[in-house]
Amino acid sequence: MQPENCWHCGHSPEASLFCRFCNTLQRPVPDYYRFLGLERKLHLDPDDLQQRFYRMSRLLHPDRYHRRTPTERQYSLEATAILNDAYRVLRDPVARAEYVLKELGFQIGEQRSKDVPPELLEEVFDLNMALEELREGDASVRPQLEEARKKFLNLQGEIDGRLEELYRRHDATGDRAALTEIRTILNRRRYVQNLVREVEKELV
Amino acid sequence: MAYSDKVLDHYNNPRNVGALDKRDPNVGTGMVGAPECGDVMKLQLRVDPGTGIIEDARFKTFGCGSAIASSSLATEWLKGKTLDQALTIKNTDIVNELSLPPVKIHCSVLAEDAIRAAIADYQKKNTAVAGQPVAQTV
Repeated sequence: MQPENCWHCGHSPEASLFCRFCNTLQRPVPDYYRFLGLERKLHLDPDDLQQRFYRMSRLLHPDRYHRRTPTERQYSLEATAILNDAYRVLRDPVARAEYVLKELGFQIGEQRSKDVPPELLEEVFDLNMALEELREGDASVRPQLEEARKKFLNLQGEIDGRLEELYRRHDATGDRAALTEIRTILNRRRYVQNLVREVEKELV
Repeated sequence: MAYSDKVLDHYNNPRNVGALDKRDPNVGTGMVGAPECGDVMKLQLRVDPGTGIIEDARFKTFGCGSAIASSSLATEWLKGKTLDQALTIKNTDIVNELSLPPVKIHCSVLAEDAIRAAIADYQKKNTAVAGQPVAQTV
């Protein structure tokens, strides 16, 4: 998006939430990394992220703007809403990667099956079949369901470890192949997450 | 979100649930999935080698009601069709028949993909078999 001149003093802009000449709050652009003053890295330190979120929340809080112009009041409301979204997305490693992939032009929402490796479908199908058989059993299958949950959670843990490795590789090298692999793994993760949810439904 | 009566009917009484022997040369198997919702759908058809007509179709779907209904309906429609006729089944036909809302259109797309994948698998198996003697003479 083309940055606009400062709406208040007319100076040409820097990429910032505030005009660097008159320090007035600018029309907020929903760029999550920019909101938190971060470089576009996939690996983020959660504590640093939280500190940044608190700092920005204070700076943008609508209470600070209630004596200002209607424009600033409006911008502070919008900016606060975007900041909350930004923190919710960026603190979750999966949502964060999906956000970055989407921005880089990867299709996330509307994928066709051709984007899913056939082995993964086979594996997920078999796991679902096994889970269904267990479900149809009586209370005596509970230990097996507990076992299945442990297995799915382990799988999820492995996936998260692999994602973290790929995040670091991508951050270090800007490697696009890493992004493609990340997307494949995110798909796998969603399937495994569903299996965890399904098995937990049976265990409550 | 409320499901249409037809979706509920297929969901509560799914037609043709089950599996065919995927090693049977007359059986084509399509396995497709929608990562955004975690659905996975297996659809199989068996072709009568004499007539080229689909004599049986089965499915098993792990997913929402609309995905189950879409694949159940697809197996009903496949039976008695030739492969060429089967390829004319479009996801929009499924959407109309089941009155799927816009957020569930991807379920019908999945069913169409599954039909195509099953037919492609059948054709691959059968051209491979036909090509075998040629390969052996080399």
